[in-house]
Amino acid sequence: MKKKAFLFGYGGDGRTLAQSLKAEKMHSQVIESSEENYNRAIEDGYTNTLLVDVTKDEDFEHLDISEDDYIICVMDDEHLNVFLTLTLHAFFPKVTIIAISDSIHASQKLKMAGASRVIDLYQVSANRIHNILKKPVATKLLDDFLSRDDGITLREMIIPDKSFLDAKMVDDVDFQGFGVLLVGMIDVELGQKFIFVTYGTSHKLDSGDTLVCIGEKKDLEKFEAHMYRSEA
Amino acid sequence: MISGFIVKFAYWINGSQKYKHTKTFFDTLLNNPDYPYKKYVDSLMIFLILTSVGILVYEVQNSVPEWMDFYDIYLVSIIFLIEYLLRFWVYSDVHKSIVREHEKSRFLKKDFSLWVPFKEVFKSKIKYVSSPTAIIDLLAILPAYRPLRILRIFVLFRVFKLLRYTKSINQFVDVLATKKFELFTLLFLLVFMMISAGIAIYVFEEHENPHINSLFDALYWALVTISTVGFGDIAPVTTEGRTISMLIIVSGLAMISFMTSVIVSAFSEKLGELKESRMIEEVNKKEAFLIICGYGQMTKSFLRENVKARHAYIVLEKDKSIVEQAIKDGYNVIHEDASRHEVIGKFNVEYTNITVLCLTNSDVENIYIALNAKSLSRNIKVIARAIDSNMKKKFELAGVDHVLMPNEVANTMLITAIMQPVMYNGIHAILTGKDVANMDEITLHEGSGLIGKKREEIDFREDKLLLIGIQRGVRGSFIFNPKPEILFQGNDILLLMGLEMSIEYFKERYQRKSV
Repeated sequence: MKKKAFLFGYGGDGRTLAQSLKAEKMHSQVIESSEENYNRAIEDGYTNTLLVDVTKDEDFEHLDISEDDYIICVMDDEHLNVFLTLTLHAFFPKVTIIAISDSIHASQKLKMAGASRVIDLYQVSANRIHNILKKPVATKLLDDFLSRDDGITLREMIIPDKSFLDAKMVDDVDFQGFGVLLVGMIDVELGQKFIFVTYGTSHKLDSGDTLVCIGEKKDLEKFEAHMYRSEA
Repeated sequence: MISGFIVKFAYWINGSQKYKHTKTFFDTLLNNPDYPYKKYVDSLMIFLILTSVGILVYEVQNSVPEWMDFYDIYLVSIIFLIEYLLRFWVYSDVHKSIVREHEKSRFLKKDFSLWVPFKEVFKSKIKYVSSPTAIIDLLAILPAYRPLRILRIFVLFRVFKLLRYTKSINQFVDVLATKKFELFTLLFLLVFMMISAGIAIYVFEEHENPHINSLFDALYWALVTISTVGFGDIAPVTTEGRTISMLIIVSGLAMISFMTSVIVSAFSEKLGELKESRMIEEVNKKEAFLIICGYGQMTKSFLRENVKARHAYIVLEKDKSIVEQAIKDGYNVIHEDASRHEVIGKFNVEYTNITVLCLTNSDVENIYIALNAKSLSRNIKVIARAIDSNMKKKFELAGVDHVLMPNEVANTMLITAIMQPVMYNGIHAILTGKDVANMDEITLHEGSGLIGKKREEIDFREDKLLLIGIQRGVRGSFIFNPKPEILFQGNDILLLMGLEMSIEYFKERYQRKSV
């Protein structure tokens, strides 16, 4: 079954997010509590938008959210957003909840309310300014890698069963030969922590590990296809 | 004949770049407070003044060694003389007046006379010579002539000379100047009372009181009494005299309290301004600093992060109540509207690296501030926050170096979190600058040990670094994953990933000249 994103809130942030999700071809569902925003979502073409009173528990019961889905909380009202996060966490404790906050106090509250990830608008931007001041070129390039669809980009991929990479050491694999660079990975044997390749210790690759690589889009695609082969 | 020679000489000077450069250099060195090397000249002068005054005071009771005399008479006085002459020289341009007048007479086809420009020059130079600071400077040179003891008093002028080099005394005078009217009224009243009380006591006691022998004695007594100092060397002896004393003591008390309140209120009115101008002076001394416009959420987040980065900064906020809040939060903030031209102009635009952060809540205002800064100097870097994504283009047109869109950044991160959750952790670490991972740039300056080497000659893996690519110059192309045989060139910017310490260690070795 395909993962779904449930977007709570179609205000300032919600609207742009809905567009981005659409562009990424993610199956998404917009949910709003204000009639005005609800109408706007319908007008913008999100015909499956739901109008829900987020303060009433019974309205959540018929939401069909499964464990693999994502919940995004971006209500315009900060208090409502925290309340919503808390309610959703109570109803769907295993679902990943991502919330956007616009102050350090709200971030803390959202985390306490059960959000798995909180993106603090201003915190992120403030860091960005520091990065620009310290390393302008690197920041610009990284931005490009992240936001561009074509050209050089970052991608994560899972090593499939019986791949030629299975049971190999990182140092023995010629990523350069494929035109890609390995940035980091999640080694399932070592838990769910992201390990940067520059830590300096060589890891054994296994099927099921997740690799994050950087490279030209076509090279990344070629490499991903290549991973299914059993010989290099 | 002589006039022709002078005109020729004036034209020659007018065309000489070297002369112009030298003159501008000395003018900046002596008169431009923003010039970074001026402080050394100032410190030298203050040192000379203090030592010279020190020697003169020491000399009162002790005999001084010869070298001290030499230092005081020749060195200090000559340096002061040179300074005086330099200031006299840079104050106005003689050759320009001559050239201008000569061209004018040629144009009007009338006879050229040296008198007209000379009169003009004379006037401007006299204006300089008669200015209070120039008089002090001139008198400060004089103590060189020792044999006349009366000249010792001129050592005082060396102390006055400190005025030029210490800002706080100047500011004190400026503050008092704002209450000129009140202070003059008070002074007038004081003089009036002193004179009338003086005359009265003179009339009543001249024959009765052995201490009052002249009108000067009477006036002296009146001032000592009015000011409530009361030395007691002259005291009234008649009933009339004592009555006058009582009257002027009471009115003297009133006048002193009035004067105190005038001065205090002048300071309390100007205190904020004084603090702000001091703050601007402080930040102007830095090699590079940030001007942050607006004190909103974003500025707060930025400043919280700044505790580590320690960039020198100053916040400009136009809302008084927000300024008070920011002061309570403990930040360097001044109450100014950054969109006004003269506000950014107060900063040391010429000699420091200024980055303006436009972080107000309005796109229109941010663009205006950006344009304002860029119109002052192209060297000012501008980082602006855009709220509406449609505005990005306009910001770029305004010459903004980096446009920041909080919503877009958050958007990218959210999409990454959903679409590529593993990568999210990595990206988040890189974006927030956590020490686990760092993506940094190293610029290869001329003389770096890496220039001319092939990529394969450097073992990045051994250094626990990942070379992601090379940017050829700031505006050049980006070479991703460079081939082993590629050569490093000057001005290349290497994009590296690794732990902060690995990158720092690498920088340490390769940004220097030797490998």
